[in-house]
Amino acid sequence: MSVVAHLPHRTLSLADEEASSPPAMELTGRRRMSAAERSLAETIYQEFRADPRHEEFVLGCLNCGECTTGCPAARFYDFSPREMLQIAANGDATTLWDALQEKIWSCCQCYTCNMRCRFGNDIAGIISVMRELSVRHGVESTRRTLAPFGRSLTLLMTVGTQVSSDMIQPDFFRDWGPFATGSDKAWDVSPEIMRKAIPIDVLQTTRSAWEVSVQTSLELFRIYEETGVLDMLRGLDPDLTEMLVDIIEERREEFREARETHRARLETMRGPVATFQG
Amino acid sequence: MNPVLVLGGGPAGLSAAAELASLGAPALLVEKENYLGGNPKRWHYSLLAPDLKPAEEVLGELLRKVEGNPRVETRLETTVTQVEPAGKGFRVSLRTRETLETREVGACILATGFDHFDSRRKYEYGYGRYPDVLDFKELEGMIHDDRILRPSDGAVPKRIAWILCVGSRDLQVGNTWCCRMGCAVSIKQAVEIRQKHPEIDAYVYYMDIRTYGLWEDLYWKSMQQYGVKFIRGRIGQITMAEGGKRLVATGEDTILSRPTEVPFDMIVLASGMEPGHGTQEAAKLFHLPVGPEGFLTPKVADINPVDSGIPGLYLAGAATGPKAIPDSVTEGMGAALRAFQYARD
Ligand code: SF4
Ligand code: SF4
Ligand code: SF4
Repeated sequence: MSVVAHLPHRTLSLADEEASSPPAMELTGRRRMSAAERSLAETIYQEFRADPRHEEFVLGCLNCGECTTGCPAARFYDFSPREMLQIAANGDATTLWDALQEKIWSCCQCYTCNMRCRFGNDIAGIISVMRELSVRHGVESTRRTLAPFGRSLTLLMTVGTQVSSDMIQPDFFRDWGPFATGSDKAWDVSPEIMRKAIPIDVLQTTRSAWEVSVQTSLELFRIYEETGVLDMLRGLDPDLTEMLVDIIEERREEFREARETHRARLETMRGPVATFQG
Repeated sequence: MNPVLVLGGGPAGLSAAAELASLGAPALLVEKENYLGGNPKRWHYSLLAPDLKPAEEVLGELLRKVEGNPRVETRLETTVTQVEPAGKGFRVSLRTRETLETREVGACILATGFDHFDSRRKYEYGYGRYPDVLDFKELEGMIHDDRILRPSDGAVPKRIAWILCVGSRDLQVGNTWCCRMGCAVSIKQAVEIRQKHPEIDAYVYYMDIRTYGLWEDLYWKSMQQYGVKFIRGRIGQITMAEGGKRLVATGEDTILSRPTEVPFDMIVLASGMEPGHGTQEAAKLFHLPVGPEGFLTPKVADINPVDSGIPGLYLAGAATGPKAIPDSVTEGMGAALRAFQYARD
């Protein structure tokens, strides 16, 4: 079964349907939006267009489709970087909103599209701006799309890495690397093998990659706090965020204790000392 | 009256020399190759778009006016290596492999032309590696000789694709301009092949079809009468399939919004136009400014496209930008007229 089948699909309650204003999208076959969705979509759209990166990343488009040609995601999903760029360049609040629902999450941020683009667009970059907005505003579909990735997120937020070095084995990534490119067999990999490339059941993994020092872990988390990443995540998944905060609080406590013990030991040897205030 | 130097023996240069002669002025036609006729001759252009008139006929007419004309002195395999002002005109050094000669000329016309883009630079198309990926100028020769055969094994191709804008409209190779003729020439080639060999399928991959002005007729006819198929999207890569026997073109069908991957027996690249080597040399020799694209720039392009801004020095043809043969011929005439007026009094 394709991975896309596991992704949550949008459902619409009857109340939503009734609350929606006149069916502007009816003719295009798209579903109606509720008044609340409409207003959120508009806010996101305004922020998107005002983002300085928009001007920098989106230059123009010849509709040549070369970005899509090299895009691995376009092979498997109803997705194309050209479409994303078109939406970024010419779309309105509704088309942007539609893209946020599912499509932007098909991209694996490999940046092949940027390399191919004849116009010099930063397509991967503008997709990540869309994702950022989607997370920042806690878009419901984003919440559901990201829900299965709680484990990855937890690792990223607490130890800063999600894949350990010994997961990167040629057998698990048959569609990658010099032996895959240029060969018409590149996509002839069985789904079982492709599946192995997704390190969910972390085969043969040493735990060492996730054993970072407490201090590194705390510094990392401080960065997430200071840069607003944690607040973004709170809007999206408050439960996960609380859990992360708990984990980190525990580590902070651990760290403080260790520091005190260390300080006490040093002081008995050579008097008062200053230490890191992390 | 000192002769007018015409540098370059392609359509623009031939036209300029012929026009000077008809005005009664002596012309000194200098060409670095050992033949006249420029790129059309070099690559054996077959029929010319849009009227499908044989290139030989068009060039032949120009050549007849020049060759054997007592007012036109033609120097083949000759380059200009030095130039300095002399009175109102110029003193130029003409070099052949054996000789070096200095001449005084009343005015100069630069008709140094273009070079086709070297398609090897688009490495993702495998030109130069896969024998069945051709540049469209090579196909011109094949059509001219009516030998449409796969270079790899001599078989008759069943399905041919044209890729437009190769080395044009492409920031990655630094050529952002449109070649102006790639669409028309490719469509013309597809039509020629379908006319003679209706069993061969012809596909054209395009971003926009730029058969501007009256040339649009060719585009319509190619679909209506000859069944040429058009797919919107630029092919992103060519690979080999079937054990290295068949080419596969991968791209996006941007109208249907889905990736496409189609096997072809032959793929033809519509390589763009770049400022020719001769044009670059001429720019250095005459200390002329070039535009961001590397072509020579007329002083006031919209009012007088043939004036270089330097008195007595005129420009014609594809040296100032991609141009079709009729436009080059027109500019050759214009430059001849201006040079004649300048050198006469
Ligand atoms: S960065 Fe995303 S959109 Fe671009 S090629 Fe990779 S997967 Fe496709
Ligand atoms: S490669 Fe660039 S110019 Fe071409 S379709 Fe994609 S975004 Fe547009
Ligand atoms: S004339 Fe046609 S093939 Fe040539 S660059 Fe323009 S659009 Fe492309």
